[in-house]
Amino acid sequence: MDAQRRGLLAAFGASALLTLFPGATRAATGHDTRLLLVLLRGGLDGLHLLPPYADPAYARLRGEGAVDDPIRIDASFGLHPAMQQAATMYRARELMPIVAIAPPYRERSHFDAQDCLENGTASPTGARDGWLGRCVQAMPGGAGFAVAAVMPLALRGSERASNWWPPLPKDVDPQLLQRLQPLYAADPRLSETFERSTHAATMTRDGKGAFALPEAMRIAAQRMSAVDGPRIGFVEDSGWDTHRNQAPLLQRKLAELDQGLAAAREGFGAAWPRTVIAVVTEFGRTAAINGTGGTDHGTGGMALLCGGAVRGGRIGGDWPGLAPAQLNQGRDLRATRDLRGLFKSVLTEHIGLAESAVESRVFPASRAVAPMAGWRAT
Amino acid sequence: MSASKATAANRFGLGARPGELDRAGDGRQILLAQLREPPSQAEFRDLPGSAATLQREYEQQRANRANRNADAPPKSRKPGMAASSESMPESTMTAPGTDAASARRRRTAADRVASTPNDPADREPATPAEALRRELRRQQLAEFAARYRHAASTDAPFVERLTQFWSNHFAVSIDKGNARLYAGSMEREAIRPHVLGRFEDLLLAVESHPAMLRYLDNAVSIGDDSRAAQRAQRMGGGNGDKPRRGLNENLAREILELHTLGVDGGYRQDDVIELARAITGWSTPGPRDAQTLDASFVFRANAHEPGARRVLGRSYAEGGVEQGRAVLADLARHPATARHLSFKLARHFVADEPPPALVERMAQAYLRDDGDLRALYRSLIESDEAWSPAARKFKTPNDFVISALRAGELPVGNEARALIGLLASLGQPVFTPRSPAGFPDTAADWSNPDGLYKRIQAAQLFAARIDAQASTPYQRALSVLGSDAVNGDFAIGLRRAGSASEGYSLLFASPAFQWRC
Repeated sequence: MDAQRRGLLAAFGASALLTLFPGATRAATGHDTRLLLVLLRGGLDGLHLLPPYADPAYARLRGEGAVDDPIRIDASFGLHPAMQQAATMYRARELMPIVAIAPPYRERSHFDAQDCLENGTASPTGARDGWLGRCVQAMPGGAGFAVAAVMPLALRGSERASNWWPPLPKDVDPQLLQRLQPLYAADPRLSETFERSTHAATMTRDGKGAFALPEAMRIAAQRMSAVDGPRIGFVEDSGWDTHRNQAPLLQRKLAELDQGLAAAREGFGAAWPRTVIAVVTEFGRTAAINGTGGTDHGTGGMALLCGGAVRGGRIGGDWPGLAPAQLNQGRDLRATRDLRGLFKSVLTEHIGLAESAVESRVFPASRAVAPMAGWRAT
Repeated sequence: MSASKATAANRFGLGARPGELDRAGDGRQILLAQLREPPSQAEFRDLPGSAATLQREYEQQRANRANRNADAPPKSRKPGMAASSESMPESTMTAPGTDAASARRRRTAADRVASTPNDPADREPATPAEALRRELRRQQLAEFAARYRHAASTDAPFVERLTQFWSNHFAVSIDKGNARLYAGSMEREAIRPHVLGRFEDLLLAVESHPAMLRYLDNAVSIGDDSRAAQRAQRMGGGNGDKPRRGLNENLAREILELHTLGVDGGYRQDDVIELARAITGWSTPGPRDAQTLDASFVFRANAHEPGARRVLGRSYAEGGVEQGRAVLADLARHPATARHLSFKLARHFVADEPPPALVERMAQAYLRDDGDLRALYRSLIESDEAWSPAARKFKTPNDFVISALRAGELPVGNEARALIGLLASLGQPVFTPRSPAGFPDTAADWSNPDGLYKRIQAAQLFAARIDAQASTPYQRALSVLGSDAVNGDFAIGLRRAGSASEGYSLLFASPAFQWRC
């Protein structure tokens, strides 16, 4: 983890920029701030969300899978064109992408990597509860809230955490309906009911349709925006495991994430200036496109930090480079930062936990991981 | 007629769990074995009884009053809800979407979350009354969770289906506030002990349980010539601030129409009134009695209508609480009751329009054995009609959910909020049939397009929670539906599914999984 600093980014310098909110001289901490964690399960391809368009190695590695019209947000990096809202937030200095960051896990299992990210330790079996849950326990008051069908590992470990999920959130997979069609056609008692059911469903859906990531983020934000609402929130989304034909898939998924950021901003309302949203994933993907237009499990991922309490408009983290020698095992982006460093800093500087509580209870045995300073609007 | 194990598990039981179809014996033997001894009730061991709940409820009401007297802002009440020992604090129950209004209104998920009751963990309870209210709510969630945990795991699923059948036959709907806390304990205390016993005992246990006495208003019924009525007259009741109470026919009518003889059972309005008089005084302990009695039934001699009664042409001498019991015992043995119960059971297990000959044979067996329910069940199982390949029943939402829990080996948590919410959105909220007639029992009632679409959605939800390591969707379909039901396009679809969750979605959403075959 001794990556050479490229000096690309001034993100973690001490230079205090103007905040987005003139008149707000200090962001509040420690009593009414909010943190929403958005976990993208499956391994988001950071090179696709934040293409390093200026690096010739990128085009070489990605070939036809390269994003060809990124929104150029600085001299090196662009945002995927589906990320229009994110680009607006970036320009408003409310959003900061962080490159080459990952949990301290170097294998390639989704489930173990997610467990490690959620339990806040260096191993998938390092704790049976989650770092967000331990954070809620360490807070003097306030609660945690997850939009999830079952309590996610990240929020386990606190009685003050709850989860909520609409009874029937998901739209029906069109493929499933196709497979069911001939089966119901063969059941005289139910064939017409089935035909009318799919018709009725299309009639009753409002414009929002599926209970997907944007809706989940909106709900979490609305719930958290209340004066005595939960200060810690968790939202998850799956389907980011893009082994095949990833361009159209990510076009859709990134647009959802983008809508989700906008929906959350709207949902937080007046609490937005006191809010940090951290979008994270369990690992990155291979640097090169594979034979089926997708990418495979990798190492260095990325995170997005956004919200009124974030000093954005810059890119954070240490970029390890894409040259063959710079890649992990010659395959994927190296991880130069431990996500726990970012989380630690957010919990002390934004949520207001004492450093001793963070070190001893929330992220035990992580002294070697330095908090990642410099992301916060002051 | 061969009795298939798949039919025993899926039509007579609650849907097969993996391994259930490998039991020894044929379908008949498997069912008969389950009738021999009452199954384990370990899931229910730690739940409080109705007597304890009554005390808790009154304690909560006292705390509420103390609150109000201390000038705390009063709790909002539904218009017309009187503050009395008969009313329940609001929002003791409800999972997202279980109140009728919200189930009817189409709302976005965002709206729904706004109206979701705050989790008890959200805030410290403001008052002792609030703490007690939450405790009662937690108790109720635990009650529901235990019911579904038991259904999902029991090795005697035929007995559990019978239990739920009787629970719905003697329907109590918890949208009536004063019965809300007792529907679950009624199933445990009145139905479970008698499901393999005599109907007379079952009937008596149900009609004297607080859930039923409150739901159908008998707890407040008093005889017009009772001592309580005479005293009220002397005190000038009826023109004061209290409404004059008198005879309430509600429970008596439903006993005759729904619980025993059936709507065509040959009773008249006079019989309703006479039965209502016979059971005046059957009540629940009030706030004062509850602390000393530690019981959930009390006979109030003061409220009992004095004198002999005449029901269905028979005379019943005055005998306090025994008078009503004697009427119920005769109703339990009545041929109309035998036919009514036999028809409902045959409809539940065999077909929406059950063969009349089968119903008649069952009724005869019932009468021959003096209302022994096991004799009734045996005559059903031993008939050929029960095992006809043409016999099938469309699953109710409740059946669908329980069979998916069993087939998927899905765990039921301690509070099961999601499950309760799911049942509500599928159209069958737990213990809420909204009428004393209970939930309906034919395909026409349940096989509507919207309901089917929601099942397909729910199928995806269940599939997403399955431990995919255990077996492939195709293997699982074989092990729970049997090889006869898994063929053609269905088998191909299961085998070709791109992921475990796609395959399990197909299994749960398939037409084969919507029927009890």
